Amino acid sequence: MATYLLRRILLGLVTLVVITLLVYGLARSMPGNPLTVQLGESDPSRKLNPEDQQRMLEIYGLDKPWPVGYVQWISKVIQGDLGRSITRKQPVTRLIGERIGPTVLISGTALFLTWFLAIPLGLYASARGGQIDERFTGLVLYALYSFPTFVAALFLQIIFAVWLRDTPWELPLFGMSDLSSDAPFFDRCVDVGWHAILPITCQTYVVLAYNSRFIKANLEEVVRQDYIRTARAKGAGPWRVLVHHAFRNTLIPLVTLLGLSLPALVGGSVIIEQIFTWPGMGRLFFESIRERDYPTIMGLTLMFSVLTLVGQLLADILYSIVDPRVNVE
Amino acid sequence: MCCCFLLFIACTGCGGSKSVEETPPSELTASAEERKEPLPVPVLQPPDPFDVPEIDELDTEANWIDRPVRNGLVLLRESQSKEKVLGSVVDALKARNDSPDSNALILSSLGKLPENEEADYAARIDRHVGGDLGSTNPIMISTSAEFDILGLTGFGLFSFGRDLEPFATSETVEKWQTSTDRMLDKVVLRDDLVWSDGEPITAYDIAFTYKVIMDPRVPVPAVRSGTDQLRWVEAYDDRTVVFFHKEPLATNVWNINFPVLPKHVYEKTWEADPTLKDSEEHVQLEQAPVCGGPYEIVERKRGQQIVLRRRESWSSVRGKQVRDRPYFKEVRFRIIEDPNTTLLALRKGEIHEMILQPEQWMTQTVGSDFYERNTKVTAPEWVSFHFGWNIDTIFFRDRRVRRAMSYAFNHDEMLEELCYSLYDPCTGIFHPGAWMASTKKFKPYKQDLDKAEALLDESGWIDSNNDGIRDKEIDGRTVPFEFSIVVNQQPLRIAICTLLKENLDQIGIRLNVRPVESTVLQDLTLNRKFQAYLGGWGSGTDPDTSENLWKTGAMRNFCNYSNPEVDRLYAEGRQEFDRGKRAEKYGRIQEILYDDQPYTWLYWRNSFYGFSKEVRGYVFSPRGPYHYSPGFGSLWKPQQE
Repeated sequence: MATYLLRRILLGLVTLVVITLLVYGLARSMPGNPLTVQLGESDPSRKLNPEDQQRMLEIYGLDKPWPVGYVQWISKVIQGDLGRSITRKQPVTRLIGERIGPTVLISGTALFLTWFLAIPLGLYASARGGQIDERFTGLVLYALYSFPTFVAALFLQIIFAVWLRDTPWELPLFGMSDLSSDAPFFDRCVDVGWHAILPITCQTYVVLAYNSRFIKANLEEVVRQDYIRTARAKGAGPWRVLVHHAFRNTLIPLVTLLGLSLPALVGGSVIIEQIFTWPGMGRLFFESIRERDYPTIMGLTLMFSVLTLVGQLLADILYSIVDPRVNVE
Repeated sequence: MCCCFLLFIACTGCGGSKSVEETPPSELTASAEERKEPLPVPVLQPPDPFDVPEIDELDTEANWIDRPVRNGLVLLRESQSKEKVLGSVVDALKARNDSPDSNALILSSLGKLPENEEADYAARIDRHVGGDLGSTNPIMISTSAEFDILGLTGFGLFSFGRDLEPFATSETVEKWQTSTDRMLDKVVLRDDLVWSDGEPITAYDIAFTYKVIMDPRVPVPAVRSGTDQLRWVEAYDDRTVVFFHKEPLATNVWNINFPVLPKHVYEKTWEADPTLKDSEEHVQLEQAPVCGGPYEIVERKRGQQIVLRRRESWSSVRGKQVRDRPYFKEVRFRIIEDPNTTLLALRKGEIHEMILQPEQWMTQTVGSDFYERNTKVTAPEWVSFHFGWNIDTIFFRDRRVRRAMSYAFNHDEMLEELCYSLYDPCTGIFHPGAWMASTKKFKPYKQDLDKAEALLDESGWIDSNNDGIRDKEIDGRTVPFEFSIVVNQQPLRIAICTLLKENLDQIGIRLNVRPVESTVLQDLTLNRKFQAYLGGWGSGTDPDTSENLWKTGAMRNFCNYSNPEVDRLYAEGRQEFDRGKRAEKYGRIQEILYDDQPYTWLYWRNSFYGFSKEVRGYVFSPRGPYHYSPGFGSLWKPQQE
């Protein structure tokens, strides 16, 4: 096991270097730089003369070719320094630290709800396959899956924030909190939770629809196997067959899916965060690309890459737990 | 936004040191060495060192002329007292803005300043802002949101009214004088100014800020432009600061417009961290800056909101009221990026004002659900849009071809169909209502395909091989008239370019429309890597700011336009102090550009705003409702009955 882990970690480090090198090269090769955005103001009186531009590029360390910039960046990363955001004027680690909490609150809750609901829904759909109630549920889930998030978000905002205004069902329209930072901690927690309901709903429903259909499809494959027939012949009840014999054998693809969702846990969603003005990672990543804020782009890329690799490693280890035939060695 | 429009002065001090040459080569270079990457040009020495004269010597020789010291709010009140009110507040609140008359009624009645005790000084206003702040440090600002917020929290000495005429603001300045040779400006500060931490604001803060801005190690983005035109800034005592100019220019007044840092705070931290952002002290200051304006930042939730609170020490010193209190006790800037969410927030009453998109104005703000809590207004704004033709390409070198483009485009369809008849046609660089605009009446271009074709034929672009595309032999090669236009990924702008494509198809020209991300567009235009583009400009406070667009080789002269007469007229305009004579020069520039058509001017984009019915006092300038004096300072809420 230790040899396996070591091998995977070494391979992961090489992968990380390749990913970050590629992303850094691509980011620096995109047209424009952080100063281009600042020069994009429509007021012609705001200008930067060529000498000042050069001076600023030197200060930001952008006056050298990108391979040199990459070596400087990765040298700092090895020392634990992700650099400073050019446009937000603060350390990238601090920026990520500020955004990761709100992101995990939405993504983590949505992920939990998704799996918490998707597994019983998948089992139910499989057990009731072909029945009217199952077909209706399937129809609803397909409808949800094909309903764009930004439209759903707008509808939810109109219904819960505008139409139900001044009723007990009213929900906040946008933002993460209306209370000031000196309000009692408990009140602030409740306030944040209240603000999170609509974003969580939007983030949950699409994945829920997909995952529950994914579970059903896998179960339908498994229930045709001989060992299921054997279990039934031995007199096991339908739910016992489904949960203990069939479902357990669908866990490998589920574990893969779960492993791949780890980066999404902190990746956030640009659309949902933008619509609800939620200060998460998705907006940060999107804005940093638009602003050509290379240190932030690279800090986030590094974090997402690490989480993807860790997620895959965990999934591989979990295979051996859910399926004893799999040996990590 | 006052920062941009307030003319900030700064003074500081080298204490008794009078000779700039005597200033030690500086602590600055020491730090640069520590970085192992020394940057050029020591800060504290101007390019042409000179002995800073004693104040007595200056007073003897300068022959000072008094300059205006005014209060923007008083000026507005005076001008409103002469204006006829078109209806009652009740009528205006009931009105639906569906005609110029109703728009005028709303602006006239709801734009009035409060009488006596009418205003609720305990009120809060929630303003909309489309993006977060990059920085709260006054000299690090560059975006509109930063200028908006720093305009309320920053300390400034100068401003300008609706007519864009500059003046020193009486809230901070006691006296402003200029030498007869126009090489010096002397400002005497009031003696009742304090920072939000209680320390006095002095002339030394201003001179200190000048040095920091000019420090090549400090990554100052927009604020350095203009300040770098100063020769030196000297503080003679706590209240007296003198600005030394390099040349006697009409534009000098705008060059002394820079934000001011509290010296007592930054002099301790600047040397250790000239980036002004890396050290722990600077990170703390970003979160809770020391403010010199009427408001201070009391809360900053990144990506969500910034809360400003009125500084009582701004209006009241030692128990005595020394300045007008701002009308709002608290100003909350709510950050909302999505335009739909913003409009819902206005309808719900969570924000009190927002800029409306044309589509929102036309279709989403016409029903009772909007008018229940809100109203809307529009006013002219000096923001124009155009097609820019790259004159260095083989297609647009010839003026006749550029004119043909203007004749080929269906301006009426754009204005009526695509822009919902909300915009006026634009014919040139200055708004017809501007003092610097030509007195000639320019005829807006109308589509005339025959004329366009004749001009193209005349310039040698003909369809020689009958393939339906015009061509021309250039250097022995037949070049088809096919080019690309780059445009921001906004539906209206893409639609305008698509209309141009359809129009050009009719006269044998093939156009490819290339929508690109805004940063890419900016990069392509700055580096002149385009054949044509669609863009827009706002207006500077002085016509000289447009030199940056038209002078040969200027940074934003994207089209590579070059005309020695235009270059000369800009130079002369800067050196002319009589406004009437200046206007003649800029008017002439406008005429030349109309003839040369380096742009096909499209339309003037007006201001469109939604306001809560609780808010009053909005008055529009050519730069919108905020970016002048008093700007936001005139907004108020009535007392609840």
